[in-house]
Amino acid sequence: MIPNLTAIIIIIMAVPVLILITFLPAFIELKKPKDGGPRMIMAKIPQVDLGITHFIPISNIEDEQKFDTSLIQTMAKIIVILPSLEV
Amino acid sequence: MIIEALEIIFLFSTALMIAYLARHYVFTLTVLRRTKNPIGKIAVDTKYAPTVSILIPARDEETVIGRLLQRMTELTYPHDKLQVITIDDASSDRTGQIAEEFSKHHPFIEVLHRDKKTGGKGKASAMNAGLKRATGEIVLCFDADYYPQIDIVEKLVKEFVDPAVGAVQGRPVVLNEAQNVVTRLVTLERIGGYRVDQEARDNLGLIPQFGGTVGGFRRSLLEKLGGFDESMLTEDTDLTFQVYLAGFKVCYVGDAECYEEAVDNWKAYWRQRHRWAQGHMQVCFKHALGVLRSKKLNAKEKIDGLLLLNVYFMPVLTLIAFFAGVSLILYQSSQLVNALWFIVPVSFYSLVGNFAPFFEIGIGAYLDGRTRIQWLIPLLLFAYLYNILICTKAFLDLLAAKILRKSWSDWAKTRHLGNGNSYIGN
Repeated sequence: MIPNLTAIIIIIMAVPVLILITFLPAFIELKKPKDGGPRMIMAKIPQVDLGITHFIPISNIEDEQKFDTSLIQTMAKIIVILPSLEV
Repeated sequence: MIIEALEIIFLFSTALMIAYLARHYVFTLTVLRRTKNPIGKIAVDTKYAPTVSILIPARDEETVIGRLLQRMTELTYPHDKLQVITIDDASSDRTGQIAEEFSKHHPFIEVLHRDKKTGGKGKASAMNAGLKRATGEIVLCFDADYYPQIDIVEKLVKEFVDPAVGAVQGRPVVLNEAQNVVTRLVTLERIGGYRVDQEARDNLGLIPQFGGTVGGFRRSLLEKLGGFDESMLTEDTDLTFQVYLAGFKVCYVGDAECYEEAVDNWKAYWRQRHRWAQGHMQVCFKHALGVLRSKKLNAKEKIDGLLLLNVYFMPVLTLIAFFAGVSLILYQSSQLVNALWFIVPVSFYSLVGNFAPFFEIGIGAYLDGRTRIQWLIPLLLFAYLYNILICTKAFLDLLAAKILRKSWSDWAKTRHLGNGNSYIGN
């Protein structure tokens, strides 16, 4: 029986293509590894999320609240006379 | 007559391959389903804090022993309940001196020196020497090249609240995986074997395996079982079955993770796997009948136990099936075998990855959030071909040893170089 020439050519061409398709991703990953390994297993240390710190106006908090010192002085005067109101 | 015999061998091998394939599909689907819908575990008694002895057998491990002992000092488990025993087993390097240095500054670290006369007889022998000195209720084991999480003791011992738990096993993670192609393939095998296989066996109430390190036992049980069997090449697998045959179970704790240094060349890979294969086959000969007859194991544990015991015979069987199939195709054969012929390569490929097939490894990597490493999975085909040779050689060696009545009493140890230290950040 004479083998079908077309079939033989297709097989000869298909086998290397199949091998290439199967192993190409592996060779790419070996050549230029992009995997993030090894797996990180250590216990996580809680960290401040630096992304949100700009929402917290720590430095000029007194300025921002327009803190009025005269109000405190008035309150202090009232507190001083409070004991004299006791019966 | 020969044709009929070949047909029986071929059909038997194919049936077994399909059984293993189905088993791995069940494992993979189980872990996928459980990850999406986790089952709430029994509430843990957070006050449970038994005394713990940690055994570290070490022979010529000067490159890594300091790293592990330093980690022992950083463990979060109360140090007054810890006893760390470093077994310096007739080392010819500085292993003993390094351990002594740690012992001077940390009273809970002890060093047991064994000279060339008493030591050097294998890991099981060293572990038994350490066990004699251990005082903790729980005995944990770490190989010298391991590097655990700081809270690993808490994670492992909490399972012993359940009195039915006789042993626990944590998850090893390859530290030096970026080193070369061998360490990457070992990483893939570990992912499949632990993230899916062990996890599924635990979830399904089957037989998770104690791997000899990153795990431990109740000391009372270990002593009752006579310690580690020094005649076994894989005393860990032997103990797994002893635990089950004694009516206890092994619990797999997937979140108790520990770095390990994987073999980094094909020669070391051969030596390690050859020992594992031979040891596993030894255990199979020792326990297969016991598992079948045991009244303490239920039906699914018996089936899983037998499949687990026979796992290292599968690569040998693949080779036999291949030659039987080729012979049957070349000579006369029945239509049934012709129809089944295609199954062999399918099963062969499905079993790629040796003891965890490609889909299991792929799912394991996916669950770990590692998509890129999946690109390497086709390369496991070469590892599997290599394992066929390893397991066949191990089988023939074991048969020869049985005939010649040879026994093992040496350290078949892997050389560790401390590779991967740069990844240990804290």
